[in-house]
Amino acid sequence: MDRIVISGAALLSAAGTGAAPVFDAMVSGTHFFDRQQEGKRSLHEKFPWPEASLNDPDVPWPEGSAWVDIKKYANASAHQAVAVARMAVEQSGVPDEINGLRCGTVVASGNRVDELSPIIGKLGILAQTDPRPLAKLLYDEIPDYSYLRGIPCQSGQFICLATGFRGSNVAVYGEAGAGGLGALAFAMRLIQSGELDRVMVAGVGIPISPAMLVAFDRNDPLGTESNPGRGPFDIGRAGTLLGHGAVAVIIENDELATARGAPRLARLLACETINFNSRTTALDFATRAVLDEAGRRPDMWWAHGAGSVLMDLMECQTVRPLVDAPTTSSKGTIGNTFESSGLIDLVLAIESLKRGEVPPVGLLEKPDPALGEVDFVVKTSRRLGSDARAALVTALDQRVAAAGAAIIASVET
Amino acid sequence: MNNKVVISGMGVVTAIGDTVESFWDSNLQGKSGLRLENRMDLAALPCGWVTSVIPDEIKSSIKERWGQSNRAWGDILMHASVSQALDDAGFNGDLKRPAGLTWARVWPGPSGSFPQDYIDFIKRAGERHAAVGSEPGDVVAHHLRAKQEMEIEASDLSAFPTELSAKLGVPLIASRLDATCAGGIRALVEAARLIKIGKVDFAVVAAVVSRTNHYTLSQYAQLMALSRWKNPPSQASMPFDKRRSGMVISESSGAIVVESAEHARARGVKEVHAEIGGWGLAVDTVHLTAPNIEMVERAMRTALNRSNLTPDDIDMVNAHGTSTRLNDITEAKALHRVFGERMKDLDVCAVKSLTGHGSAASGILETVISALTLCRGIIPPVVTCTQPDPECNVKTSLTPVRRPISTVLKNSFGFGGQYASMVFKRPENPRP
Repeated sequence: MDRIVISGAALLSAAGTGAAPVFDAMVSGTHFFDRQQEGKRSLHEKFPWPEASLNDPDVPWPEGSAWVDIKKYANASAHQAVAVARMAVEQSGVPDEINGLRCGTVVASGNRVDELSPIIGKLGILAQTDPRPLAKLLYDEIPDYSYLRGIPCQSGQFICLATGFRGSNVAVYGEAGAGGLGALAFAMRLIQSGELDRVMVAGVGIPISPAMLVAFDRNDPLGTESNPGRGPFDIGRAGTLLGHGAVAVIIENDELATARGAPRLARLLACETINFNSRTTALDFATRAVLDEAGRRPDMWWAHGAGSVLMDLMECQTVRPLVDAPTTSSKGTIGNTFESSGLIDLVLAIESLKRGEVPPVGLLEKPDPALGEVDFVVKTSRRLGSDARAALVTALDQRVAAAGAAIIASVET
Repeated sequence: MNNKVVISGMGVVTAIGDTVESFWDSNLQGKSGLRLENRMDLAALPCGWVTSVIPDEIKSSIKERWGQSNRAWGDILMHASVSQALDDAGFNGDLKRPAGLTWARVWPGPSGSFPQDYIDFIKRAGERHAAVGSEPGDVVAHHLRAKQEMEIEASDLSAFPTELSAKLGVPLIASRLDATCAGGIRALVEAARLIKIGKVDFAVVAAVVSRTNHYTLSQYAQLMALSRWKNPPSQASMPFDKRRSGMVISESSGAIVVESAEHARARGVKEVHAEIGGWGLAVDTVHLTAPNIEMVERAMRTALNRSNLTPDDIDMVNAHGTSTRLNDITEAKALHRVFGERMKDLDVCAVKSLTGHGSAASGILETVISALTLCRGIIPPVVTCTQPDPECNVKTSLTPVRRPISTVLKNSFGFGGQYASMVFKRPENPRP
């Protein structure tokens, strides 16, 4: 099959724009959880869980006549998706004259965010006394186009408009996608099958409704403290810490990327997501599959590292027998961005290979011995050997038995 | 990409049949699933008096068979249709490699097609607001204190892939996807792709929609997309008829088993329903909801090209045919562009005339009808098109048309600029 390279990558996180601020923060031991940052506005003051929020969640909408009328169909997720997609295209240097029909978009979507959450209670009160039939009341009172704004693949249509990638648009839900790697695997297949030459894979971890967060918490407690010693893999870890972010990655046929002189940030050697009877078996299968397909061992492991007591244990016990390499995770620095987390980690792993350095795990003080002989990077960065070229990225679903894995490699490989 | 892909199993749960055979019979007889929606007071809406929902007795038996605790209604319906499809495919647990699953479960909002559930939901939301307000932190605290089952609004999460993996006994390469109303055909495309590139030999495609409640109808009414027909409900969805006034929201579920022809042969399957030809995808970036004739044409022409067929090779069209003013005229004009003079004789079928519009599920249900059309040589009628729109000028029939059919072109389009077309071919050994 055709070789695939990553030719563009952009991300927004609590650390700012791009991979470098996240990476530098990990190196310096900084993190971005609201309550520990003086002067930073907390997104949800009353949440029991700290969050690593975007500095400015209100991302500007593109200017120009084509964008004015359609803004009403765009929610915050769409704004962020378009912003990162445009940054990725700019980095990738995709020329205007490309055949857009050979390019497409795959969006890693969250479970549909209900923008009615903040108003549904008031509507419930109103419905108790209002003489209008309920359907008419909703017809009158619900903001126009809210239903359309909630369509998962809507962000993709805007990305298609922004980038000229008009050959395909689809959203892939995070619940089976393990944090964006499902969307990446999906996009790979579009190229491998010859359908497209180039795919924009975007992920936006949009704010999750209160009810959904509580559902997550009941399933596996979310982290309530973001102090040192509460990070992923720590003996004192107590739940995944919430984060917000958006990411876009352009993958394309290597031959075409080379021909147009595109930046070739890394090769995408393999990517797969698997659903099976448990997260353990799913992750085991996905990891073995990408190792086999890549045909080489990774020199570093960018783990999911949820910070959950159970998930970290399961992840380490599953992957460690297959991979022995310096291991890190971003979730103690920028939190768990859910649908976009796997893609964000992929972009950070590219940065790691570029710098030849594995940054330490945020908020990790004392690795949990129960996790086994994993080579965690603790407090101080680790230099990679001069021959280090490949990284494994893993991702887990927060609630169902799905897991993903990807192997990337420097282009010299 | 050389693996031939065949449809070896099919299952449906619809308002007009909870088995493939009963669904087919209803299509041939022109039996409508549309009815006056009398569970909700919709009189004040500018449209939306008619819906298509699965009859209560069928719902009850399905719930009894598949309704495990905490399983969302959409998942229950998918289990019912997937189980049929696996039985139809003669699946006996003999898979040796990972299987594929591509599926679409249209988000039902806080209830499926159960208006009382929506009333209860909004009542609880009001009570919660009265008690703690709507500030997210207060709502979280309220839920954390509560001991009852989680709010139904969290139920879009689904364990369906894991449950299916357990049933099949192998890992699944699964994608829950959204391509709006083109999602059913898109799911089928992606399952075929998994097989063609050799990732899997066997895949399940499933789609479900159940959202006939106050909320969904109010939103589609805002979009002015629903039928305004005020006469016999069975006539409310009338694709390509000059009186058409909008779509009818439907509740339904469909499932298809696809596999490589080689895999089917190896496990002893002698007859299949259809062979999947080529497909075409297109994205319109001009408008969110209005269909675009160029995109429809592009999707169809791409599907034909990738099937190595010309328009003259197509025996009939299974149309998207939603009964909206704009869709049907756009689809018809694109058909004229592609087929030209052949449109005089080219049979067009529109299943939504009987089922209403089931979003992504419609693509699966209409694929089922396309496959049976190929195998049995019968084109179902469009009984609601009694006054054909001369502007559309497509050839529909009020009675079944019997003649050999070797190829069907299937269209599905959706909001958000989604366009998908697929060609189905009569298999070498069709299922009787």
